[in-house]
Amino acid sequence: MEHEPRIGREEEFEQELRQAFERRPAPPRLKRRIMDGIRKQQEARRRARLIWWPRIAATFALLAIAAGLAIWHRAEVRRRGEEARQQVLTAFRITTHALNEMNSRLSTRDHARE
Amino acid sequence: MAHEWQANFEQLVDEHQSMVFSLALRMTADRGLAEEIAQDVFLELNKRLGKLESPEHARFWLRRVAMSRSADALRRRKVRGVDLWVELEEMHGAQSEDRTSALASRLEQLLETLPQAQRAALVLRYQEDLTPEEIAAMLETPLATVKSHLQRGLKLLRVKAESCLKEFIRGA
Repeated sequence: MEHEPRIGREEEFEQELRQAFERRPAPPRLKRRIMDGIRKQQEARRRARLIWWPRIAATFALLAIAAGLAIWHRAEVRRRGEEARQQVLTAFRITTHALNEMNSRLSTRDHARE
Repeated sequence: MAHEWQANFEQLVDEHQSMVFSLALRMTADRGLAEEIAQDVFLELNKRLGKLESPEHARFWLRRVAMSRSADALRRRKVRGVDLWVELEEMHGAQSEDRTSALASRLEQLLETLPQAQRAALVLRYQEDLTPEEIAAMLETPLATVKSHLQRGLKLLRVKAESCLKEFIRGA
């Protein structure tokens, strides 16, 4: 019996709460602040891209230079090696020629003695 | 099906700024802080706009992020409580006092004195009209805990209201 008024009071209280806790209108400047924030965010992102592109480009340029130097160095080593090989071969040829010359002279002398 | 919905940021701001601001305001009792939180929430929304699948998803996301950002803000900054609220109401109150009754503003003041978890449950229940199940899903809290927060919060608020506002509760 006593519960009914109590339940009624509770419902009334809950109703008061619903009214008290109605949404408040947002301040008019809030939307402007949000949109300004978005613009700043986009600007910051754009600026970050602008800052990063030259860095990325410079990194690629440095990498390309390093790769070019490495290729040039390998080619240079190979060229020098080839040059040295040619020199050795020329030396061998000269030596062979000299030995053949010497050999033929010795053969001629031996024949003359006989 | 869900991907057909295209989120329009400005429209979402128009539709939900009052909800987000009110949640933050009731959780922090600080108008300036509530505005900052609302701004942060919408800036975060802008980053995740592509991931939102429906208007309901957007509303759920906004409520959840507003509540968690408010909780974070409260952790970072100890808000002074009722006195601050009264101060702020005096500062900005001219407009709000017209809109809300004296009882409503007193209840809001009393809400500020409740523990944070109870305050969150009550705000979602009576401002957003969510069911305990929806509140539990939103706050990622067990349903029993939410029900207990609601019950205790309501009881505490009622006791405080009865001692402070006898004239209203008794219908005087």
